[in-house]
Amino acid sequence: MELMKSENIVQDRQPQPQEEEEIMQQEEEEEQRFHVLAVDDSVIDRKLLEKLLKASSYQVTCVESGEKALEYLGLLHHSSPASSSSQHHHQGSSWKDVPVVVMSSENVPSRISMCLEGGAEEFMLKPLQLSDLHKIQAHLLKSLPHS
Amino acid sequence: MDLVQLQRQFVDYRTSLYHEGFLDEQFTQLQELQDENNPDFVVEVVSLFFEDSERLLNELARALEQQSIDYKRIDAHVHQLKGSSSSIGAQRVQKVCIAFRNYCEEQNVEGCLKCLQQVRHEYSLVKTKLESLFQVRLPCRREIFFLSKMVLP
Repeated sequence: MELMKSENIVQDRQPQPQEEEEIMQQEEEEEQRFHVLAVDDSVIDRKLLEKLLKASSYQVTCVESGEKALEYLGLLHHSSPASSSSQHHHQGSSWKDVPVVVMSSENVPSRISMCLEGGAEEFMLKPLQLSDLHKIQAHLLKSLPHS
Repeated sequence: MDLVQLQRQFVDYRTSLYHEGFLDEQFTQLQELQDENNPDFVVEVVSLFFEDSERLLNELARALEQQSIDYKRIDAHVHQLKGSSSSIGAQRVQKVCIAFRNYCEEQNVEGCLKCLQQVRHEYSLVKTKLESLFQVRLPCRREIFFLSKMVLP
């Protein structure tokens, strides 16, 4: 699971003044919501994860494999499919600072250590509950770089 | 049967499923995630579980029929079934999967076949019980509102 700051919304028509204010408000709210890329090969777990994350006020995109995740992030020799607008640009493709949380149904200490030493922010044991997400929320907010 | 009785029946039946070990607290979590924006969430997740499990059970049966059994492949399928049953709180299915994986590791075909039969049995039990549960499902607030409109003059 990765956290990335919400992308800017590109509007493709001229909004009315009142509408503009609403859109700006919505943009601000979405700026503050974090966008999580959730990776799991189980369709059941993806559905559950999506709901858990949305219930915790995250924006969510679910993909079914590590490869699809890399593709989504534009790290697999394709141009980034994450944005449908040609006006949108990533700041390079450096996702290095994005926190990664690893999940597993298996409680194998050596593997968990390996993930944490490899740079994962947190490890969570499946099945996940809302309380698990609440626990890491503050932790993740602290770990984000401040501009 | 009136609404209060229906609600009571639902709660009692659900409680019995917990007591008999068919469901655990993960199922409670699913219910807690259901809301007005997603009123069919539990049914949707459980339906996905049914579909996915049936696929896995078929794969397992096929894999165990092979001349040369691929235990790694079987273990991978059982691992998936263990994971999904755990995610929805189908505790008894999950428990059989744990035993199943042990037999895979031992490359014990008899043990595996026995577990396949057991997991099929537990799966069909929990499926029947969940289907019954949803037939007596607790009406959401909107349904109660409309019902009371119909009942009152």
